[in-house]
Formats: sequence, C-alpha cells, structure tokens
Amino acid sequence: MIQVEHLTKDYKRVKRREGFLGSLLTLFSAEYQTTRAVDDISFHIREGELVGYIGPNGAGKSTSIKMLCGILVPTSGEIKVNGLIPHKNRMENARQIGAVFGQKTQLWWDVPVIESLRLFRDIYKVSEAQFKHNLELFNELLDLHEFRSTPVRQLSLGQRMRADMAAALLHNPRLLFLDEPMIGVDVVAKERLRTFIQQINREQKVTILLTTHDMGDIEKVCSRIMIIDHGHIVYDGNIDQMRAKYGTQRTLVVEFEESIADFVAPHATLVKSEGRKKWFAFNRFETSPSTLIRHISAQFPILDLAVEEPEIEAIVRTIYRGQPEASAKEAR
Amino acid sequence: MKVFWAFTRQAFQFVASYRFDFFAEIFLILLRMYSIYWVWRILYTQRPGAFGVSMEQMITYGVLGMALEIFMWSRPQHYMARQVKSGAIDTDLMKPLDFHLHMLARSVGETLIGLTVLAVPAVAIAYFILGVQLPPDIPTALLFVISLPLGYLVFFHLNFLIGSLAIVALDIRHINWAYYSVVRFFGGQVVPLWLFPPFLAWLAGALPFQSLYYIPMSIYIGRLTGAEAIQAIAFQGVWLVVLVFLSRMFWNWAHRRLVVQGG
Repeated sequence: MIQVEHLTKDYKRVKRREGFLGSLLTLFSAEYQTTRAVDDISFHIREGELVGYIGPNGAGKSTSIKMLCGILVPTSGEIKVNGLIPHKNRMENARQIGAVFGQKTQLWWDVPVIESLRLFRDIYKVSEAQFKHNLELFNELLDLHEFRSTPVRQLSLGQRMRADMAAALLHNPRLLFLDEPMIGVDVVAKERLRTFIQQINREQKVTILLTTHDMGDIEKVCSRIMIIDHGHIVYDGNIDQMRAKYGTQRTLVVEFEESIADFVAPHATLVKSEGRKKWFAFNRFETSPSTLIRHISAQFPILDLAVEEPEIEAIVRTIYRGQPEASAKEAR
Repeated sequence: MKVFWAFTRQAFQFVASYRFDFFAEIFLILLRMYSIYWVWRILYTQRPGAFGVSMEQMITYGVLGMALEIFMWSRPQHYMARQVKSGAIDTDLMKPLDFHLHMLARSVGETLIGLTVLAVPAVAIAYFILGVQLPPDIPTALLFVISLPLGYLVFFHLNFLIGSLAIVALDIRHINWAYYSVVRFFGGQVVPLWLFPPFLAWLAGALPFQSLYYIPMSIYIGRLTGAEAIQAIAFQGVWLVVLVFLSRMFWNWAHRRLVVQGG
C-alpha cells in the first residue's frame, strides 16, 4: 500500500532579518539554513495494517506524513502510495487517502458540520447513496447527530475530532493518516476514538498510519510500531518483539510480613522501600524472578509478590535516548 | 464547477456574516465619491477644457474608481500568507482541489458580494445625486461588461502571484503595501492615464495594472471607443493569458519549497 525508499527531506529556511529594510534585504540576498527533517528512511506498509508511528517532537513524523499526502515535495527518495507518487499526483492521491491532523481542522470554521460535510461530498465527488450511508454509519459510531448543525468553531475538541474523522472517511479512502488525533481529547472520547479506529480498520479494511504521543493508543490499537527519531527510523516491528528486545528491566515487588531493614539481593537493585513493601529492579538476562524470590524468601517471610513488566513508555524512552543503529536494524 | 460555486457561495456568506457593515461601508464609499466629485468640479471651474474629457465624463470616471474600490476587498494573498504562516495550508493541500482554482473561487465570491451590495447601489445613488452618466450606448456598455471581469481576473492573478511569494518569503506585508500603491497609481483608479506625463503614461500603458481601473472605466465613459477599445480589451486578454501561465508556474515552483509551519 505504501512504499517508501530512501526518503529524505531538507528544509531550507531563510534566516530572517528584522524590520522593513530587513525584509527587503531578505528578498534580494537571503541566507539559508538547511535542516534535515527526514533522513533516508525506508519502509513498507501492507494493505490493512494499522501502524503506530511514534517519535519525539521534531523527529520527522509529520514531515513524512505530509510527504505521503503530497503536501510536501521530498528532497530525494521515492514514495508510492497505492501506486501513485503523491507530490506528482497530489489531487489524485488526495482522493484515495483521508487524513486527520489533530492540531488543525480540515473543516470550515464558520459553517455547520453538516454543511462542511456536504462540501466534502462535492469536492470528493461522493455519490448521494454513499454519502447517506456513511452519514448513518458516523451517526452510529461517532454520534455525529449530536452536533451536526453546530458550527465547527463551537465544537468541543472531542466533537471536532469526531467531525474531522467523519470528513476524512466520507469518501471511503483506502488509506487513513491520523496525525495526533487524540491530542487534548479526554479519556472517554479517547476510548471511543480508539474503538472507532479499530473498527474501520477491521471492518472496512482501511490501512491506517497513526501518529501519537500516547503509548496507550499504541498498545491498545496498533499491531505494528515504527519509531522515528532525528529523521531516522530506529525501530520497526511489533510491540511484543520490542518489549522482548528492549524491555530487559523488570521489577519485583515484595511485601513482607513485617517491615525489615534494607538489604542487598544478588543481581538486583533495591529501588524503593515503603512500609513493608520493597521494589527490586533486575535485568531478566542476569537473573530470573524465581532465583530472586528463592533468595529473598530464604531470609525473610514473604506475604505477597508481583513481577512488573516494563511500561511501554519506558521502553520507548530508552529507544529515543538512542540505541546503536545496529540493534535497531537487527530488531526488524 | 459545482465545487467552484460552492466555494464562491461560501466566501459570499463569509463576507456577508463577518466583515460586512453595510451602512458604514456604503457611507464611506459615498463620501469618497462626493470628495472626488468636488475635486473635479473645482478643477474644471479653474481650467475648463484642460483635462481632455467633459466634466461629466471625468466625474463619472472618478466615481466609478471609488465604487470599484471593492476589488481591493478580495485579497487571496492574505489568505495564502495566513495559511502558510499558521501551517493550515496543509489542510487546503490535503483536498483534491486545484489550489489556484480554489483561490479563484473564493475571490470571485468576495468580489461578487462587494459588487452587488456595495458598488452597484453606490453608483445608483451617485447617478441620482452626483449626476453620474450611463454608458453612451449599448455597444459601449457591452464592451464595459467584457472589460470589467477581464480586469478583475488580471488583478486576481497578480494577487495570486504575490500570495505565492508568501510561501517563500512568509511575510509579505511590506511588499503588499507597496504593491497596492502601485496598483492604485498605475491602474489609474483616481487619475486617468491620459493625464500622466509622457514617460509615466508610457510606463503605465505597458504595465498590466491599467486593466483593473483605467481600461474598463475609460470604455464606460466613452473615452476609449471602437478599435481603441477592442485593442485595450485584447491587451487585457494577453496579460491575462500571460499571468495565468506565470501563476501556475510560480505556484508549482513555490509549492516545492513549501515549509509547513508547526506540527
């Protein structure tokens, strides 16, 4: 569905000067400053996949999505979206994709939602039957009818996101880009959007590329995850593999029958001690929970035990902080 | 085409609901018409026969220039600069719409509302109180009706070119300010080109700006007639073709250099 080969995007920014004279000078002799937002990335996405695309701010996520939409023109490299080169066939490509940018709305600020959707119907040449059918579907799944005649500027963020989602899907795109669609949305609305995203992926076989900072989204929704940092893809694979590879640190939580003094256990570090509870961090390649438990229970009576898996967020944090290139490639 | 009119209608409604303070605007236009009327009256009493046309023709020219101020209402370059600056340009480019035609549709809507609710009523009022003339005959009126939209289209494309510059330069306020002064002066909005000193007249005659005011208004008052009028319309047509071509090229070039701000 999507093929990206050695994609690179440089931004040439004009160093700006102050004032009237400055802007005149800038017109005639501009100093440029080049930044590489996306640096030689390659990936493939198959039809029907639901891929989480994550990375810290400024990593190049939005830039790459905008290139997939044909909004930005790549500096070098190749993109094919369902056989089309987006920046050469921007309008044709736009017909087969849908997009929601969380920070901006595609709808018209001053018009009621339904008017905006009608304009979308005309722009995308959606047939009347399809339009009706989709509206019913969105009513059912997104409760669109609650705010269909409200102007967009009066919508709450959650409603706006639902309206944007409806607009993006009105023409039944094969491919959907969601760029931080959950930003600022409350827990209930978020849950609902997640369910909706899964539903359209499963039932309508829409291929989805989801950008988010919320690891909950990734864990609950995505089957595959791509991590980009400083313009490079540093991880591409499924979540369990990622956990296995990077989530080596685990924590053993022990509750003792009575509070006892801190002590040292082999291959583990005591990270926290609170009342009768103690937290031991250990690397699962150095020791196993059972050895550790055996060691501890030999010395003190234990009331309760728990082994905590690393949070996906913590794993991603270690990947962001920079892993050697080799291990990222190996992980694929 | 349906979409084109949808955008036109939307722009129309937008202007109607937002920036439209009918009474203030029409009062302002009438005031300007009245000023220009008095300026020419006084000048004509001082030096009758020095301006090449009759006083009634000249007053009509001046009043029309004030009414057609509404052409300045539609500023696609502002929209483009705003979208580029805020980064919202990507929501425009997301849609399967030709950007150039999209801008044209909006601009047509904005201009149509200005024409129908302000320019035409203001000229009608001026007809009764300031003695503004109608075109001398039907063919003249027809030529005017051809020339005016051509002038608007030439102007739109100049604006669109300035707007495309916003993609590269981001801040076009200074350029825009200078540009509007040039349009007003070389367009002959207030002072018709035949009163210019030879060099300036020659320069104004070569530039496209006269398409907007001087050509349609001179046709209206019967100063440009017959072959001259046809020639002037052809001049507008040629500039329009050149500008459409330049706009498409320049926009494509600018699009390659687009940087989406934020996010």
